[in-house]
Amino acid sequence: MTAAIELCTLTKSFGDVRAVDDVSAVIAAGQVTAFLGPNGAGKTTTLRMLLGLVAPTSGTATFGGRRYDEIAEPVRHVGAVLEASGWHPGRTALDHLRVLATAARLAKDAPMRVLAATGLAEDGRRRVGEFSLGMRQRLGLAAAMLGDPAVLVLDEPTNGLDPQGVRWLRGYVRQLADEGRTVLVSSHALSEAEQTADHVLLIAKGRLVRSSSLAALRAEAGVGCRVRTPEPERLANVLDAAGHRYRHVDEELAIDAAPEQVGELAAAHRVVLHRLTGTAGLEEAFFRLTEQSEPIEHRESLDEVPA
Amino acid sequence: MNALTRAELLKLRSTRVLPWLLLATLAMVAVTVAFSVPSATATNNPLSLDEPTLLARLVGVSFGVPQVTMSLLGALAFTQEVRYGTITSSFLVEPRRSRVLVAKGVSLLLVGVVVASATLVVSSIVGIAVIRAKDGNVTVGADFWQVAAASFVVLALYGVIGLAVGTLLRNQIVAVSAVLVWQLLAEHLLIDALPEVERWTPWGATSGLLQLGSSGISSGTLLAAPIGGLLLVGYAAATVAYALVIAPRRDVL
Repeated sequence: MTAAIELCTLTKSFGDVRAVDDVSAVIAAGQVTAFLGPNGAGKTTTLRMLLGLVAPTSGTATFGGRRYDEIAEPVRHVGAVLEASGWHPGRTALDHLRVLATAARLAKDAPMRVLAATGLAEDGRRRVGEFSLGMRQRLGLAAAMLGDPAVLVLDEPTNGLDPQGVRWLRGYVRQLADEGRTVLVSSHALSEAEQTADHVLLIAKGRLVRSSSLAALRAEAGVGCRVRTPEPERLANVLDAAGHRYRHVDEELAIDAAPEQVGELAAAHRVVLHRLTGTAGLEEAFFRLTEQSEPIEHRESLDEVPA
Repeated sequence: MNALTRAELLKLRSTRVLPWLLLATLAMVAVTVAFSVPSATATNNPLSLDEPTLLARLVGVSFGVPQVTMSLLGALAFTQEVRYGTITSSFLVEPRRSRVLVAKGVSLLLVGVVVASATLVVSSIVGIAVIRAKDGNVTVGADFWQVAAASFVVLALYGVIGLAVGTLLRNQIVAVSAVLVWQLLAEHLLIDALPEVERWTPWGATSGLLQLGSSGISSGTLLAAPIGGLLLVGYAAATVAYALVIAPRRDVL
């Protein structure tokens, strides 16, 4: 397994705030790696450092050993869709891509090729200001694909997309990975990673809290459940006594224990349950890991998850 | 031509800003010239209908608006990219940011050539027509050609100064306001307050280069055209150098 991207003790401070704190990770070539964390965790800053847009306070971020600004003709190697990367509303989609293709000395037919690949072939002559959010996200991906790069960096590409757009994007990302490309995709929603990712990097409060395959994370997280009860305090006491971890989510309790266990406990202690649903447990593990935000060396917390 | 410069020219061509700004500028040029031609009876006008350098003076005066236009285009060349977020993709394509700035500068020089040529054509045609209509003296002499040549230098320099200001200030509204307020207000207030500095200001240097004569406020005379030109080059070089040092160090968030 070769490393496509390496982050080495990457750190960025804005004044007194450590936005990214000593992050080290290896992103394998030819896989989809999800870069997960809550909003404000430092994902965007990390990706912008990787792409040479933000200077690290210390540490390095490299593609195959080279910093982004050391790569000759970088768009032929790395494609990126960043949240704030935009378009001029008065420019047509085709002209938007032509500007980039011209600057990057790419083939003249590259803009039409990527428009077709992202389903925008018919809309190239429309001004981007008239585009829907979903079409703009497609245009962003089209721009990233101009140089037919082997590595793609996508920052929250599903933000603001409708369900159809999300489905299209997942399929497209999967297709890119199947073509052998390396994809690093950030998201604040674990559900995104569950659909597309091979590997997961979890970041919280600027620190990397987990780097593992999705399968390993799922196995470690075990199963969990969600419970709705008119007696949350009593159930909480019972769970505390039994050593099960839980969190309050909306009107419910999210519990790191199998639904059978919780159901039996509730029955034994005569706690009324209105609803009991099994969950994958992954979501709970995600919340727990990102809330505790312990650095990667201290991750015993996962061992505490009851089987 | 360099790929980055071609991309910059495509950026300028692919929105409606440039053609509209150019049209508005040329309309203002025509109006400026038409209203600057003195009437036969005027006695207090520094220009007279018999003056052999009249056409050259009119053409020189007509560059006031194009020079503001070029500084605006320069400021917009960078700040529009910040405003719409396209600066991110520009720097992703070419991470060596000073190259992007140089390409913008070169594209502005080329736009300056177009604007200067169009201004010369419009101001000469309107000038000649109005002078003839008033039975004045139309002379196309060495003065005219000197002013014409100087106008290319002036517009090129205002374009790159605007670009440097835009690069340093980044915010479009702030940069455009700064460029407009300085040229239309602050500089003139400064000259009002300290007439002796007029020749050393960008306005004074430009007036010297275009042989416009002093604003009338200043008691002194303006710098000779070559010295005024050099001073203006100095202003441009200083702002551009500062922008080239600062831009690569800034985070693009």
